[in-house]
Amino acid sequence: MTFVLPPGLALQKVDERIMTLNVGPQHPGSGHMRIVVQIDGDYIVACDPDPGYVHRGEEKMAEYRNYITNIPHLERPVIHDSCNVLYPYVLGAEELLGIEVPERAKYVRVIASELNRCIYIMYWLAIYGIFLGHSTMFMWPAGDRELLIDLMEKMTGARVTHAHFVPGGVRNDLPPNFEDVCLRQVNYFEKRIKEYAAVFYDNPILIARTKDTGILSRQDAIRYGTTGSVLRASGVDYDLRVKEPYDVYDELDVHTNVMKEGDSYARSKVPWFDMLESCNIIRQALQKMPKSGSVRVKLKPNPKTKGLESVYKRVESGRGSLGCYIVSDAKVEPYRVKLSVPSFRNLIALPNLLRGEKLGNMPSVYWSLNYWPVEADR
Amino acid sequence: MGTATGIIRALNSGIKHIATKRFTLRYPEEKLKFVGDGYQFDPSTGVGIAGLKGRHMLFHDHCTGCQLCSIACEGVAEAIAMVKVPEEQKQNKKSIMPQIDYGKCVFCGLCVDACPFYALYMTNDYELSSFSKEGLIYTPAQLQVKPYVAQDSEIQISDRGATHG
Repeated sequence: MTFVLPPGLALQKVDERIMTLNVGPQHPGSGHMRIVVQIDGDYIVACDPDPGYVHRGEEKMAEYRNYITNIPHLERPVIHDSCNVLYPYVLGAEELLGIEVPERAKYVRVIASELNRCIYIMYWLAIYGIFLGHSTMFMWPAGDRELLIDLMEKMTGARVTHAHFVPGGVRNDLPPNFEDVCLRQVNYFEKRIKEYAAVFYDNPILIARTKDTGILSRQDAIRYGTTGSVLRASGVDYDLRVKEPYDVYDELDVHTNVMKEGDSYARSKVPWFDMLESCNIIRQALQKMPKSGSVRVKLKPNPKTKGLESVYKRVESGRGSLGCYIVSDAKVEPYRVKLSVPSFRNLIALPNLLRGEKLGNMPSVYWSLNYWPVEADR
Repeated sequence: MGTATGIIRALNSGIKHIATKRFTLRYPEEKLKFVGDGYQFDPSTGVGIAGLKGRHMLFHDHCTGCQLCSIACEGVAEAIAMVKVPEEQKQNKKSIMPQIDYGKCVFCGLCVDACPFYALYMTNDYELSSFSKEGLIYTPAQLQVKPYVAQDSEIQISDRGATHG
């Protein structure tokens, strides 16, 4: 009896030199995803990233909930960056429902968004450090992240999943005396992350492991459609806070930090510059924010949209440009919600970055892509 | 910069921290201080009041049994069920009040935003662990009790670093 293959599958001839290795999905070094690597000795010949292990159906779930009750579950894809992952949805819903947001609410949103960006990057930096065997770089960001989490807790009442942004503003006003506490802790946080340069970024051991590994050229970065820190590390000056300012980013002075090398080292250092820039933005926003005023427009309990229309909004999240496409058909629920996430777009570069690298360089290249599996699968 | 200099600088920046105070919080002995009395919502202005989103608190003399909190939770966690209460309140003709299952609740606070009668607030109580699933279901009588939460520790920043003091 001969074995008949199901249609669509083909047997692969096994080359004796090439070994196939599964990294993940249970391996802690890959997150919730599998990377199928083919190795010849110590060198990677081919690599096939296999996401999809944490698919939750967020987009389908959004079709059965109204514009307000969609908020808690749409921030679950990236709980450390929950304000930014919700931001495009809220901006889109505001345009569909025809809401004008108060000025103070816009500034509160910018502060929350920048704090969340730092929280996400610190978490990512802790993981990046521990997978390069640098346990100080695991402990320090994990501890200093607490300063910002404490601010978010004072501001929103929750440590990670805030559910703070709503169509029409934010849920609650800032607590009394928040500006002083925020300024003090952000200043101290900035002083702390500047210390990371000596211990991590100028460390010869880190430089030896990450310099000239996984080089992504400028043309390839644009061709693959990568975003965020991956794109800026390859020499492309592209940041949505500058190119397509949303809310009050056009009134603030935002600088983007670009590195030309395109290797793992540049990709790990650009988020660190982003954190320093976020501290600047928070200080500016605290200064320019109106001292009083409403932070939320009062809505009807179940707001309805006007008719069949669609909107696409995108923001700069901790990983890159994050878009949300909403189609509405004059009901209380959206007809379709599509999230266009930066993690999935950055992953596309991984096979080309790993080809020809040593297997030992895989963690440094893979984690430098700023990839978050849950967001890519949504 | 040479390799040796770089390694010495990296070690030195870590060694400086031997003299600084401990930043971590010894949790069961020390507890974090929060802003305010928990998340609250003012339906007349439509804006909330900042505070921790912890365990709920139900005011029996305000609850009318309108089920709006339960409807708000339907799309989120389905943690709120309306149950019969033995007591009779003037404003609550049906004598039903919310019962909250903390095994399902995600602490988003949308039920508090939905209440138009100032009856449901959130408190600073976050220690809700239980040995059984049934222990996580809070009846209206349990939700009426205002919890005592110890708050003694806050982040303090000085020249020598940050501590939880």
